[in-house]
Amino acid sequence: MTSPPNDARPAGPGHLDEMTCMLYLERQLERSRALEVSAHTQSCDSCRTLLRAMERESRLLTRAMLEEEEPLPARIASFQERVRRSMQWIWMVAFGLGATAIYAMYTSYIEPVQTRMEQAGFGGTSLLSMLIFQGSFWNGWQSVVSLVEVLALVTIAGFALAFARKRIRRGSALALVVAGICGLFASPQPAAATEFRSGASIEIAKDETVKGDLYATGQDISIDGTLDGDLIAWGQEATIRGHVTGDVILFVQSARIEGQVDGNVRGFCNNITVTGTIDHNLMIWAQVIHVDSRGSVGRSITSFSQTLGVDGKVGRDMLIFNQSTRISGTVGGSIDERSETLTIEDSAQIDGPVKFEGEKEPHVSKKAKLASEVKFTQHVRHRQEFGKSSAFWAGVLAVAFALYGMVLFLAMPAFSQEAVQSAENIGASLGLGLLVFFGVLIGSIIAMCTLVGLFVGFSSLFVWLIAVFAAQPVVGALMGQWILGRTKETWPLIGRMMLGVFIIRIATLLPHLGWLIKLGVVLWGLGAISLALYRRFQPAIAAQAPYVPPSAPLTPAGGAAA
Amino acid sequence: MDVQKPGRMSTAETRESGEIVARARAGDAEAWGELYREFAPAIFRFCRRALPTREDAEDATMEIFMKIRDKLDQYDATRPFTSWLYKVSANHCWDMLRRRKIRQDKETDDLETLPLEHPDPNQLDQLIEKRTSEEVRKALDKLGARARMALVLRYYSDMSYDEIADSLGVRRAFVGVVLLRARHELRHALEGTGAMAAGGVR
Repeated sequence: MTSPPNDARPAGPGHLDEMTCMLYLERQLERSRALEVSAHTQSCDSCRTLLRAMERESRLLTRAMLEEEEPLPARIASFQERVRRSMQWIWMVAFGLGATAIYAMYTSYIEPVQTRMEQAGFGGTSLLSMLIFQGSFWNGWQSVVSLVEVLALVTIAGFALAFARKRIRRGSALALVVAGICGLFASPQPAAATEFRSGASIEIAKDETVKGDLYATGQDISIDGTLDGDLIAWGQEATIRGHVTGDVILFVQSARIEGQVDGNVRGFCNNITVTGTIDHNLMIWAQVIHVDSRGSVGRSITSFSQTLGVDGKVGRDMLIFNQSTRISGTVGGSIDERSETLTIEDSAQIDGPVKFEGEKEPHVSKKAKLASEVKFTQHVRHRQEFGKSSAFWAGVLAVAFALYGMVLFLAMPAFSQEAVQSAENIGASLGLGLLVFFGVLIGSIIAMCTLVGLFVGFSSLFVWLIAVFAAQPVVGALMGQWILGRTKETWPLIGRMMLGVFIIRIATLLPHLGWLIKLGVVLWGLGAISLALYRRFQPAIAAQAPYVPPSAPLTPAGGAAA
Repeated sequence: MDVQKPGRMSTAETRESGEIVARARAGDAEAWGELYREFAPAIFRFCRRALPTREDAEDATMEIFMKIRDKLDQYDATRPFTSWLYKVSANHCWDMLRRRKIRQDKETDDLETLPLEHPDPNQLDQLIEKRTSEEVRKALDKLGARARMALVLRYYSDMSYDEIADSLGVRRAFVGVVLLRARHELRHALEGTGAMAAGGVR
């Protein structure tokens, strides 16, 4: 054991050793020894130079370490929000609002709609058609609008309060979302000429003429007179016996067009019958579409339905995605059909080519007048195979998701990184995800109900869909990172994402729990993407961290001057 | 020394941050946010100097603040907050490095032998003269974990020898040796070769 360094004595011929110099500089020597050193340096050039050199060394070290050669990483700047307890209530509010919205939606709309749908013979329809058709059953959009409005208002009030207290920074992400939803509400504000009518039954009498668009919600909507504009109808039944000079947009259970429509007819219905004349196109999602022998469509028909019957006249082409189709009327153009069955009857006349992709051979009457033979492509029923080898299809789906993720990650490498990073913020992501998932969905559907908001609604729904599908790759990448470690490069991240996506897909195969996992992953990923998007538009976050001057790492500006 | 000793605050500032700490301890989220904003940059830089990679430093910074939040009621308000903060940070980083079993062979040797040479002062002067901060930072990266940590604790955090001894787990009497050895290592690294390193290290 050697003696402690404090007792170090000069080395060599009367010179101070390095240790003594350092301890002297750092004021670690006893007073008597320090005085000796001080006296020695008065007379010894070499020791004085050494002392000075070591002092410079200390300064160089301090300066090198204190210099801020790189900015504070955004991750650290944003981490603040995570450790701030104040943020927790924001997410609690978000969860609360989300849960309330879901509960309210379920009890007020989905449940009664389900029962009514079954009564109305809609049993076994998909979720999409349920969402679409529920419009014809519920108490009117007003109630939904007010529900979401209340939610939005409550949230906005919360944020206003919070902003006033200067407590929120990142929390305004939610405000952005809410503002977005409100924007969606605001954008479809009606044009001045639009007339609103609602009630159990809405009628434009035979000799009545309405100028401008009509937005009608009610049980029975009948147009016997003339409507010089567009008709947007929400309700149970809509009948047009009179004349509509513009377009007709329908969200009704059953529709009859017996009169004249100069524009297009579009909509979602349970059943629609055309016995009158539509000058332009007919585009319908419905269970049953029937163009009567007296009915005619001037241009094309686009149909997504269970059964379509055309006994009347179609001016141009038909694009059909159906279960079964029967044609006995006249079609001026071509037919492109994907469905299970196609029947072309005796009296049919088709002037263009007929392409049919289906499971069974089409029934084509020999008496029918066709421009050319029906081109038939046989389809195999995938759904049955799916049931037989679900593992195989799950694999295919996993590959599809991984590839989708790869394309997205390659297209937007920086943003993907940010999204994956945001996903680490699980609470915030889930909360925001919940809000965006339902908020944007409801907002878009509402926006789509009106002509002005149609585009806004469609585009936001489109973006929303992309994000919903991208949620799995984002969460997958995070899980991959948990397993294989963090990375900043694109390809290694894609590798991790693929691993994660496969794990998620396997987890979703679990009975009972699978769908819950899927929903959780979608909400989480969607929230992460939204959070990353929000951060993209808030680049100043890193700059919010106060500048800490090099001379004093732990003192804010004031200390630097000292 | 005319260099401002870093890491120590004036009494007024200490009092001010003492108030913030007190509020944060009482559960005031705003105070906690203030604390984070004020100290996160310094702690990040501390970790950046002491740990091998930027990612490590980022992770460590966040972990340290999580720790601090949990341990805030253990802080003795009569002592400066910053020393406590650095102590927690130093312990965290040192644990992290030790867990990883970063090679410590350089550090376990000859702590007991004192370097008592009187190096050529002009040579040392020249070596220091030409170096930029950037070069020093690069050289720091090449040091052994303990040497690097010791220099950071002393010249960045301005810790006392007692505090350094406590953090690194060495006896108080040998802190000087660790520091001087670290300086030698640094000179070595700055030189590239060891030929000119003042102090005649190994």
